[in-house]
Amino acid sequence: MDLARRLFMTQTARLTAGAAFMPLAGVAQAGINDQPPRRGGDPAKRYAMLIDLRRCIGCQACTVSCHIENAAPLGKFRTIVSQYEVENEETGELAQFMLPRLCNHCDNPPCVPVCPVQATFQREDGIVVVDADRCVGCAYCVQACPYDARFINERTQTADKCTFCAHRLEAGLLPACVESCVGGARIIGDMNDPDSQISRMIDEHFDELKVLQPEKNTVPHVFYLGMDERFIDRPQAAPGLWDVRDHDGQEMGYEYAEH
Amino acid sequence: MNMQSIELIAPRYQLAWQPWAVQYFFLVALSYTTLWLALPGAVFGVQRWKPAARLALVAAASTAIVAPVSLLADLHQPLRFWHFYAHFTPWSWMSLGSIGMPLFVVLTLALAWLVWREPMAERAQEQGFVGWVARIARLGDWVSPRWLIVLTGLGAFAASLFVALYTGYEVAVLKGRPLWHTDFLPVMFVVTGLIGAAGLLLVLDRFTGTRAADLRADPALADAPRDRPFSRQMLKVLLIACLLAGGTAAAWFGVGLTQRDPSVAAALDSVQTNPDWRWTTFRAVGAGGVLFLAVLILLLRPRIRGFGWVLGLMALHTAWMFRWVVLMNVQTVQRQTAGFSEYSLSLGSSGLLGIIGSFGLWLAVLMLIDIFVPWRAALGGAAEPSVSSDIKGVPSHG
Repeated sequence: MDLARRLFMTQTARLTAGAAFMPLAGVAQAGINDQPPRRGGDPAKRYAMLIDLRRCIGCQACTVSCHIENAAPLGKFRTIVSQYEVENEETGELAQFMLPRLCNHCDNPPCVPVCPVQATFQREDGIVVVDADRCVGCAYCVQACPYDARFINERTQTADKCTFCAHRLEAGLLPACVESCVGGARIIGDMNDPDSQISRMIDEHFDELKVLQPEKNTVPHVFYLGMDERFIDRPQAAPGLWDVRDHDGQEMGYEYAEH
Repeated sequence: MNMQSIELIAPRYQLAWQPWAVQYFFLVALSYTTLWLALPGAVFGVQRWKPAARLALVAAASTAIVAPVSLLADLHQPLRFWHFYAHFTPWSWMSLGSIGMPLFVVLTLALAWLVWREPMAERAQEQGFVGWVARIARLGDWVSPRWLIVLTGLGAFAASLFVALYTGYEVAVLKGRPLWHTDFLPVMFVVTGLIGAAGLLLVLDRFTGTRAADLRADPALADAPRDRPFSRQMLKVLLIACLLAGGTAAAWFGVGLTQRDPSVAAALDSVQTNPDWRWTTFRAVGAGGVLFLAVLILLLRPRIRGFGWVLGLMALHTAWMFRWVVLMNVQTVQRQTAGFSEYSLSLGSSGLLGIIGSFGLWLAVLMLIDIFVPWRAALGGAAEPSVSSDIKGVPSHG
């Protein structure tokens, strides 16, 4: 047998052996903390939200309507608008910055693979939901979310979060926050439909869109237009006007303390 | 453009994991590390390690019973714990732990039972409730076979390695909290656990009376009353554990500085911007340094080695505080909003009462073992001295 032929034979053997291990390799790759398969929802769709910050006036109508629609406990929010007062140190000019925040319905959601009972999962249309009947309330997903989009609902004692108002979407309605937004800043739609408003806006503003904490590789699907990059991570800001203190530095009260 | 900003509106985020989590991580770490200290004497029959093994087995078994109780209490729906088994999720560390941890508990208790069956044989002859329990608990009059002890010990060891791995990576896998997201954290949980384990054995040695019994029994110790092999051994373990912990922390910091590990960057950020974090860091480094030096001094000066149990308490405090800072304080670092959230320990069962309660439960388990199991006589140990009923005896003041 000549050398070329022998080499060819060994190569073939290697390839065949490799093929035998292919399924095993696939299993090995589906390792700990990998994304499980998506389930439920419309596989043809990929819901996403675009928030046009130029149109947000920080009125918190979305916060309130979400609270009413989804009956979140007092002091816990599925969506809220963080508000900042920004001062230019050179000119002393003041400006307001509004950042509506909600679940990013990431393409690589860190909250999903950690769940020990598969209570939280991503639907085929991209929406991340929680099965409150299965959730054990371990709060592992609350820790895993880098955006603080999840909380433990003390009434149900399970994990709670924004669902893009999936129940309303299925009935052909808009999510409560989108419906109530006075400036029309929130746009929800199907990214897989090229004619949807969100697809057209993503095409138009592709280079200007930003997401929160992109370095975490979560691939968020809430896109911000008119976003200041100093707010995409934990902002360098003096926190909270809601901390009201007396002369001794003791907190006097908090509006949403345990009711 | 330089700018200054004030965050006017942001929600207040509550801590999702309660002090129960600290109790679980503390107790389970003590359990697997004390099991490791029990193995040479209890399973492999190394004579030198038998006094340590007697205490370590009690420590491992008692903490293994209490740790899962704290874990269950940290669930907001504890009665749904069976969902872990109805919906097994092999890609979640917590789900893997729900299999590995009970396995560890069962094997550790089985090992303790196999070893304790031997001294219980004598007690089974006794009248009364304690004798009756000994007769029932031995499950028949047979000698624990050597091969079964070795097999159970090795199984418990394998399970303990898994528990050490899963408790570490369960936390370290979360990139949502940069301070946790480092491979050094699981290592640090293990080495600080070992610090706590050596400390716990020194404390148990003092308060279960094994030290006093040793001093009474061995005339050779009359000349150098504090130079017992056991305390020398435990102080050495403590010294090594301190060195390992210091080395791990230094490696984390060093690697983080050169390779820009986000967890080191996040730690530096917290220390620079928050005075509480500065104080915590100084206290942690200081406590570790003081503990290391004190252990070194006691090893060099046998005459003052009677204070070993005080260092034991310090070591337990170090192991517990590490978990408190890592699990509770890190949760106060905001993620998408500015600054730090405030946490004040509540007095109820999700706070102080939970902490005291789980330690109280551990003490109760320890006392039950002490009442029903003649563990001092295990592994060739001397049986406990019968309590003197001599009312004319000279009063002793320690």
